[in-house]
Amino acid sequence: MYNSPTRGGADKAVTPWISSVPTPGEKPSALSGISVLDMSGSAGQYCGKQFADLGADVILVEPVTGSPVRREGPFLDDRPHIEYSLQFAYFNAGKRSIAIDLDRESGRRILRELAKDADLVIESERPGTLDARGLDYRSLSALNPGLVMTSVTPFGQTGPYAFYEAEDIVALALGGLLYLGGYPETSPIAAHGNQAYLAAAQFASVASMMALLSADDGGKRAGRHVDVSIQECVTMGLETAIQYYDLEKTVRKRASGQQVMAGVGVFDCLDGQIYLMAGGIASTRFWENMVNWLVDEGVGEARQLLEPAWQNHDYLATAKAKSIFEGLFAPFARRHAKTYLYQSGQARRIPICPINTPRDILASRQLDYRGFFVSQEHTVSGRRLVVPGAPYRLEATPWRQARPAPRLGEHTSEILAGLGYEPTARAALLKSGVIN
Amino acid sequence: MSRLPLHGVRVADFTWIGAGSFTTKLLADHGADVIKIESRGRMDSLRSSRPYKDGVPGINRSGYFADRNSSKRSITLNLKTQAGKDLARRLIATSDIVANNFTPGTMEKFGLGYHDVREIKKDIIYIAMSMQGAAGPEHKYLGYGLTMGALTGLQFLSGLPDHEPAGTGTNFSDHIPNPCHAAFAILAALRHRRLTGEGQYIDVAQTEPTIALLGPTMADCSANDHIQERSGNERAPRAPHGVFQCTGNDRWIAISAWQDESWAALCKVLGDPPFARAPEFRSAEGRWTRRREIEEGIASIVRYWEAEALMSALQRAGVASGVARTAADIVDEDPQLRHRRHWVKLEHPEMGESIYNAPPFRISGMRSTPVAPAPMLGQHTDEVLTEILGLNPAEVEDLRQGDVLT
Repeated sequence: MYNSPTRGGADKAVTPWISSVPTPGEKPSALSGISVLDMSGSAGQYCGKQFADLGADVILVEPVTGSPVRREGPFLDDRPHIEYSLQFAYFNAGKRSIAIDLDRESGRRILRELAKDADLVIESERPGTLDARGLDYRSLSALNPGLVMTSVTPFGQTGPYAFYEAEDIVALALGGLLYLGGYPETSPIAAHGNQAYLAAAQFASVASMMALLSADDGGKRAGRHVDVSIQECVTMGLETAIQYYDLEKTVRKRASGQQVMAGVGVFDCLDGQIYLMAGGIASTRFWENMVNWLVDEGVGEARQLLEPAWQNHDYLATAKAKSIFEGLFAPFARRHAKTYLYQSGQARRIPICPINTPRDILASRQLDYRGFFVSQEHTVSGRRLVVPGAPYRLEATPWRQARPAPRLGEHTSEILAGLGYEPTARAALLKSGVIN
Repeated sequence: MSRLPLHGVRVADFTWIGAGSFTTKLLADHGADVIKIESRGRMDSLRSSRPYKDGVPGINRSGYFADRNSSKRSITLNLKTQAGKDLARRLIATSDIVANNFTPGTMEKFGLGYHDVREIKKDIIYIAMSMQGAAGPEHKYLGYGLTMGALTGLQFLSGLPDHEPAGTGTNFSDHIPNPCHAAFAILAALRHRRLTGEGQYIDVAQTEPTIALLGPTMADCSANDHIQERSGNERAPRAPHGVFQCTGNDRWIAISAWQDESWAALCKVLGDPPFARAPEFRSAEGRWTRRREIEEGIASIVRYWEAEALMSALQRAGVASGVARTAADIVDEDPQLRHRRHWVKLEHPEMGESIYNAPPFRISGMRSTPVAPAPMLGQHTDEVLTEILGLNPAEVEDLRQGDVLT
């Protein structure tokens, strides 16, 4: 069941890929030398971004009219234009763009030529669509046996729902996360920001790396088809819901808008809200700190919270306990700003934090210290966008963004030239609308 | 079937609670030998978190702990003793990866910080997943999954505008963004090591992956000065797009039919209701402008439908729709997850047969799945000390008597 004990610590170089040689003095990139074709849309583009930001050469393959993500808001200056989508700009920074019509044979030929030299293809077409075009895994791996193709679809390549239609909210629903979100008295409410699509893109990144790292015993990488289901990715985020059902036969429901127990929940403050978690997991470690804080801040009646009853989880969950706690804590919180409550509570080792708005996050002193936000060029307008930067710091092979998001077809000519297409051939393809 | 991609990779796993354990589960389910280093004195608090098998508490009975620790081995070491630290160092010397998600400074206190570990194993890949990163004015602040939801903006942004911020109802960052980002970083570092022989230090702040996912929302604020608000289930410019109540007890269906074709198909399934015939509704803009009216109209009909039947009818007509499945539905009813064999039942020594998540993807020619249930606390101490570190049973017994293996 486990690996033989002698093998650990001896993980060997078995993957004979070319690594590009970094310029002297510059740290190398972890994924340099990996060539990726990103043919995906909303459910895969973050995967391509993760590869690009660690140094892979990622080519975004777009339809001649542009990736559908270019039509997704928010837009810079609220201008609905394919070069102004902030969603596109963020998820496609670091990639090059080639625009090809894959409904035409001459377009498909270009894709096949690109796939011959690619290590990874990311796609998110409905199952069967690429087969009809002769661009499915089987066809491409015949040209390039070591190819990894990662397919991200709502429900996977086969099965009773394989051809069901879905958008983010539908995958959240069938994956079970929707049912846990929202308030008891309202409908279930979906998480902000395409979290089902993004979950799939993140798992697609992990799965693609697993496939790229796998080698058969000869040391040569075997081709792989990776089948990612968005619904299935959502089920990874259900926390304890499955186990509550499996082990205790209870079905977890949405429960926002109420204090779970005394000392845990959302409280209004002077300029927004804070989240307090002084009860619950390891509550006993923080409870006394919190009571002392309240007392020092002039809430003398808080001393009653030191009585033994308050060390009992069952008591904390009673309406009486919640109401006493709220009567003491809520008026105190309302007198102070988020930052004050956060910093002075944390200074006393109490798990409390602000419910940050996007603006609060942009102003965070911790993120500022870490240099988390980066400035990214927006080519068409000449503006600079402040966006999240490295989500992980790899000391020897740092995250870096090599280039801004591409304009539609910005690199078509360059990439075709690399494949050996002469200027006249490129002009003919452009004229016939096969490329853009 | 091929060898799993992480066959031969050993992880000295100091992670606990949520995000860290879920990261190393991904590695373990893909063939890595993940050895979880625990102690009775400072136990992973998930071991004492609900739900428990049959509702009966016990350190080897938590489902929360179990699902996050499939395919791993557990040893107990008392790192407060010198002999315990020495054993940890010897284990690290045989490992490829060291993982922890403590507050910065904790591993250093045990003499197991990156610089210490590098002395033991030069090419180690060392990942630290603290709440807010290795340094900075708030790097020692306390945090848990839920406080992270608040810090990252996900809580503020999810829910209804006139209600308090709701978030996802779970510790979302713990389960998807952090484990996925950490695992990806480790795999990238492993590739680099295979090519160059060089290991490295990886710092993941548990707030940053989730904020990275919210890039477009952040850019909307930084570039357009627009602070997005909670919008319930509305997603401009999509209408109708919402969650509607069906017959039965708390049954709901999500429907998105904002494009002309799917709107027409939806109307047909709903019996071409009079409210839907307004000429303005023929365009997506018109539907968005009068979305309240449309969604009330849909709700008034859908409430007489059974959710599963409506989903089947809508999907036959090509309308994106899905029942808001409960945990019970997902385990017992969902034919698609069953087809994909997502839920894996494993026999645990104390919990009996219980359910685990398989990785949510399939790699051709490879069976990556949980192969062993979560370990009992210290279940593999003897095995690891004798097989990997070469101790004999008498030496193990001496260590046990010396309070080193607790």
